[in-house]
Amino acid sequence: MFARDIMSPRFHTLSPAQSIAEAVKMFHTASMEEQKRIFGLMVIDEKDQLVGMLSMYDILLFVQPKHIHVWNEIEDLEAQAIFGELLDRVKSIRVSDIMTTNVVTVKPQTHVMVITDLMIKRHIRRLPVVEGKNVVGVVYISDLFYHMLNKFL
Amino acid sequence: MPVVSTRGSILKGLLVEEAMRRQVIQLPHDASLDKCINKLIKFKVNALLATDETGCPVGVISKTDIVGAFYGGLSMADSRAMDIMNGPALACFPDDELGVALDLMRRNGVHQLLVQGAEPCAVIGTLSYPDVVALLYRYCRACSKGAVRQSELPDRCDRTQMLTVRDVMRTPVTACRQEDSLVRVIEELTDHRLGAVLIQDPQGMPAGVISKTDIIVAYHHGADLESEAQSIMKSPVASCDEHSLLSEAIRHMFLKDVQRLYAYSGDPSHIVGVLSLSDAAQSRSGSCRACETSRIITAP
Repeated sequence: MFARDIMSPRFHTLSPAQSIAEAVKMFHTASMEEQKRIFGLMVIDEKDQLVGMLSMYDILLFVQPKHIHVWNEIEDLEAQAIFGELLDRVKSIRVSDIMTTNVVTVKPQTHVMVITDLMIKRHIRRLPVVEGKNVVGVVYISDLFYHMLNKFL
Repeated sequence: MPVVSTRGSILKGLLVEEAMRRQVIQLPHDASLDKCINKLIKFKVNALLATDETGCPVGVISKTDIVGAFYGGLSMADSRAMDIMNGPALACFPDDELGVALDLMRRNGVHQLLVQGAEPCAVIGTLSYPDVVALLYRYCRACSKGAVRQSELPDRCDRTQMLTVRDVMRTPVTACRQEDSLVRVIEELTDHRLGAVLIQDPQGMPAGVISKTDIIVAYHHGADLESEAQSIMKSPVASCDEHSLLSEAIRHMFLKDVQRLYAYSGDPSHIVGVLSLSDAAQSRSGSCRACETSRIITAP
């Protein structure tokens, strides 16, 4: 059993020049269309090549205040209003500014046991499947999980 | 929550490990500037650690270095971290006294130190001025003489004992015009060793701010050095009254996640000074004069 057998050939992508607001909308759209929560999207350049991944974690990491430990001790906070102001700062930021650039990928012929090992050891929840220089699919941890544990269903 | 000692100075004896950040953002010394900028923006840090093939630290790439690369016309894709990094990186140990580490930073004109572990190549954290301010702010919040506790007891609050923004702010304020080029803005930043410059409209009113972060984001987006300042400036200007309590100003900076506030006198358009977290750390980072005599941090 190989990556090509369990990968999703349908996937949503972002472009490096898109704004973070556009990326958030794409997360929402992708989740609706795929009927499952999408926590990370591939970033593809104009040559259709994979240049990075952007996850919800990346966006939250950027948006959250740097000195979060001070916030923990301030009781009289109107967090919603403050958070709203923080989001204004994100306007000038693009996907390429905060995406993860060192992306781990697999090939269509990569064995599922290798994929399982990669996902466990490197805490990866989605792996792009790349053939040549182009992305042909993505393996989600949920696909792998239900494939490996199908016997219990 | 820090525990405030009732014995003598609440600041005395603080160690680097109490203020340091345990996250170290690093990358190989042959990484492209494009990747360096991505990490600086993504993790909102002022500097990155460059490592060699064995993972040992060989230098530091700061925002200032990246701004210099932009100014010098270096290609983001073709230039490497090793082309612009500074080394060897300055370091302290987690059990060093905070005052000693701050002196080291001030003497060398750096805003960040690496915190070295027991092994020669082990970097276990970083220490920057805002980290120190954050720690001392927490102490001030927990102190019965601090502004927060005092405000809970208004009849006992002695405002004359409280430090204000005016006591610590830096003057005069360096400004550029909104039609000035980014070249001019970078030159002002460099000449005055600043983290940001105020941008004024044609009437001389504050219109925005450009920080080094804004410059490197512009570089990452392929901006032209001849672009006008107004094309990348952030507005409105984060400001406060010069007579605001220092504790309130620091709280404001933490909550808004900004590195500096411009101080005005009466009218918000009349900017008279600037207070940065670095200034607060380098001069007086507490909130009142109660522990002024025993401060570990002295004015430069």
